[in-house]
Amino acid sequence: MAKPKLKPEIKTETLVSAAPKWNVVVLNDPINYQAYVVVAFMSVLRISAAEAKKLMRAIHAEGRATVWTGDRERAEMLSLELQQWHLNSLLEKDG
Amino acid sequence: MAELRLSMTQEARTVLSDLLRLIAPAAARVSVNRANVPDNDEEIAGFWVETLTAQASEEARLLAVAFASAKGNPAIIVLPNEAQAHAFLRALSAVRLALRDLVFADVTDAQLESAEDIDDESLPTEKRHALACYACFGLLQQSLISQLCPEAFD
Repeated sequence: MAKPKLKPEIKTETLVSAAPKWNVVVLNDPINYQAYVVVAFMSVLRISAAEAKKLMRAIHAEGRATVWTGDRERAEMLSLELQQWHLNSLLEKDG
Repeated sequence: MAELRLSMTQEARTVLSDLLRLIAPAAARVSVNRANVPDNDEEIAGFWVETLTAQASEEARLLAVAFASAKGNPAIIVLPNEAQAHAFLRALSAVRLALRDLVFADVTDAQLESAEDIDDESLPTEKRHALACYACFGLLQQSLISQLCPEAFD
């Protein structure tokens, strides 16, 4: 009588880790006017004047603020666009 | 959107045009040097520098054409659409940044913000002249924003 073949028991496990988020940070800038920074934010980040003013005030008060968080590719593009407006932006890994 | 207009005296146009001719090449260099280009990816860094360099030369060209085309007294610069107005705003910003870095390097930010305080007889004529231009470029920006997006002001 043939012995039954034993199937090896294989356990699989899928680990899913979310891609790290990146922050687009804008530093305070004593040269560009506040209204100019608001227009730049409205244009680049596609946000309302009220939202743009809120970010601008945060930067003015704190010296810096995160203006956008998300995937790296988009963060790089937004940071470049902000620098095309001559704002002092940089990228930081979130968390 | 209706076209946007910036007007200035013929004398102001001449003075600002002369300064632009001097500062434009440096403005391009300053705007690229100031950029926080990511240094962890050579390809991306190259793309950024290329993009910012191309933009800087386009800004210099835009300003030169705009001021050269502003005839009459008052001299009027006409910007036909929002995209041109945005480009003009950015170009003026580049020039102000260049003046700040190259001409007013020894002036504090606080002093520059209250520019009238440093516009005194103790400053060399060239620096007072550049300071007046710095303020004028700022006024042109403010005027343009007030037409383009008045809600941007508090």
